[in-house]
Amino acid sequence: MDNLHELMHGFNIAITVPHLALMVIGVLLGILVGVLPGLGAPNGVSLLLPLTFGMQPVSAIILLSSMYWGALFGGSVTSILFNIPGEPSSVATTFDGYPMARDGRPTTALATAFGSAAFGALIGVILITFLASWVAQVALAFGPAEYFAVYFLAFASFVGMGGAAPIKTVVALAIGFAIAAIGIDTVSGSVRLTMGVDELVKGVNFVVAVMGLFGIGELLVAVEEEFHARAASSKIDWREVFRAVGRLPRHSVALLRSAAIGCWMGITPGGPTAASFMSYGIARRFSRRGRYFGTGEVEGIISPETADHAAGTSALLPMLALGIPGSATAAVMMGGLMIWGLNPGPMLFVDQKDFVWGLIASMYVGNIVAVALVLLTVPVFAALMRIPFVIIAPLIVIICVVGAYSVSNSYLDVVMMLGFGIVGYLFKKLFYPLAPLVLAIVIGDKAEDAFRQSMLMSKGSLGIFFANKLVTCLIVAGIALLLLPLVLQLARLLRKPAPSTDETTAQKRAQETAREKVII
Amino acid sequence: MISRRALELATAVLTGSFGVAVVVSSLDNGIGWSNAGVDAGTFPFLTGIIIMLGSLYNLVRGVVPAATLANVPIAITPIELRRLAGLFVPAAIFVAAIPLAGMYVASSLYVFAVLAIPKHQSVPRALGMAAATALALYVVFERMFQVSLPHGALAAAFGF
Repeated sequence: MDNLHELMHGFNIAITVPHLALMVIGVLLGILVGVLPGLGAPNGVSLLLPLTFGMQPVSAIILLSSMYWGALFGGSVTSILFNIPGEPSSVATTFDGYPMARDGRPTTALATAFGSAAFGALIGVILITFLASWVAQVALAFGPAEYFAVYFLAFASFVGMGGAAPIKTVVALAIGFAIAAIGIDTVSGSVRLTMGVDELVKGVNFVVAVMGLFGIGELLVAVEEEFHARAASSKIDWREVFRAVGRLPRHSVALLRSAAIGCWMGITPGGPTAASFMSYGIARRFSRRGRYFGTGEVEGIISPETADHAAGTSALLPMLALGIPGSATAAVMMGGLMIWGLNPGPMLFVDQKDFVWGLIASMYVGNIVAVALVLLTVPVFAALMRIPFVIIAPLIVIICVVGAYSVSNSYLDVVMMLGFGIVGYLFKKLFYPLAPLVLAIVIGDKAEDAFRQSMLMSKGSLGIFFANKLVTCLIVAGIALLLLPLVLQLARLLRKPAPSTDETTAQKRAQETAREKVII
Repeated sequence: MISRRALELATAVLTGSFGVAVVVSSLDNGIGWSNAGVDAGTFPFLTGIIIMLGSLYNLVRGVVPAATLANVPIAITPIELRRLAGLFVPAAIFVAAIPLAGMYVASSLYVFAVLAIPKHQSVPRALGMAAATALALYVVFERMFQVSLPHGALAAAFGF
């Protein structure tokens, strides 16, 4: 009941004219970056970040989170109408969304997608409303050792459940940690890893990394293939919108299952992309019409969309309650929180009630605003897709350059951004996951501090990580997740002693490609 | 044409050398345990080691042709490579030109060059877009958000 009371208070903060205006601006900008290939939610949010420094934190987070919702919706528009996913997390929506739109039912496809997306987001927000403050309360009792254990669990779950090749994930994570360590060490004050470049003393800002990795990197991947923006009709038939949404309850099993998958993947940092693929795969296996998937099945749209938005929303739960973001975009937002002078984690629920509950209330309102706006603006943004890529590409390059520069007015940042672009391209091309890299850059310092503080408390003994039940459980669970890929591989080897026939290799290849697709 | 294997190798070597640099550089800060607790170099040192070992594993996986690699032998075709260069080379020149020409001049030249030289747009239209880009940057950043973008050495020489 306490939560509901706080939530009402949050609505008082969120439903004011300036905040509603910020939501509209945020959602529209979000749809824009979601629609444009090469710009995504992490980029969009980090581009806006320098512009929020003068704002109240609660207004700033409403703007940024609205942009996130907009981007999640915008990605589905292009997936369905053009067969071009605007966001990695909406790749799975193309499988059935585009065939349905091409068959002359674009409104049905869009309305089904937005309806189930809104449902997924709603479940995610409800989860945050009731669970976040409880998690935060538990976390208030955490010491440095417990914190390190939670960080460790988060990183381990990327390795164990992220879907990418485990060692590539480990390398990406470790590179992120090393980048986070560049600059002045917060504990001892000594300068680390500058490799002779004095300007690196200030460290590498995560915005610079995000601009390069996601902006330039994605642009380079996108430019490889020529774009054929052959749109299905983008006219919206409003009566069909309501009919399609009215038909959604018939698929309540798929909706609930996908929302559950999404929430789970969002809280444990699997991220929206993995969630939507997993949900699509499970739906295909369990649906009675599974063999029609790929030809424009309703459940083929519902499953990835619901999971995508449920994961995107619930990724904010660990960010708020524990200070551990569940997705790349949440990581960027958390970086913002730290810049605004807030300390993400359980203390937020004690010190910054207005901020926390204003944000949670704004999630309810923001998603409604997003659904309405995305339906109204589909024709506008569909027209935008007809602008040739050769014009959009240089504009995105300029946006990334200016974005990287404006973080701290440093030219070195621009050059580094370009370097990160090459790394981002290589990583995407070879299926190294980018989300753990960004996550490690943002919270690497905090994880290290937690480790060093625990070591100080225990005078250098690792025993502190097994000192009580909670820490032991977290650490053991983390180790189990780390070893999970290894165990699975061993089990596979034992079951099939000599898989050398052509058929099994072909199968294995198909599995590998499917798995690699997941992590794009 | 660049094979998937070559790309895997190059990336593993790249990440591996970053790991070596991190390890070497963190040794300066001291690793291990001192009176003040864990030394500043310890954590980066360990991450550097992990990067090196992981890169080594990826390198070996890249050399030994596994099923995954045989699946897509060619990572970048010549046409794709040309498109990549067509995007990246002008962008790099643009970034290199910023200290001299400033953000506004460099970005409008960049827009003009990539649109007009490959004849994607007519010269007048490309000129128009180039001017619009600089103007939009000026209005949004210098005016609305009061973020000063670099004006460049040339502009400084003329007293701006």
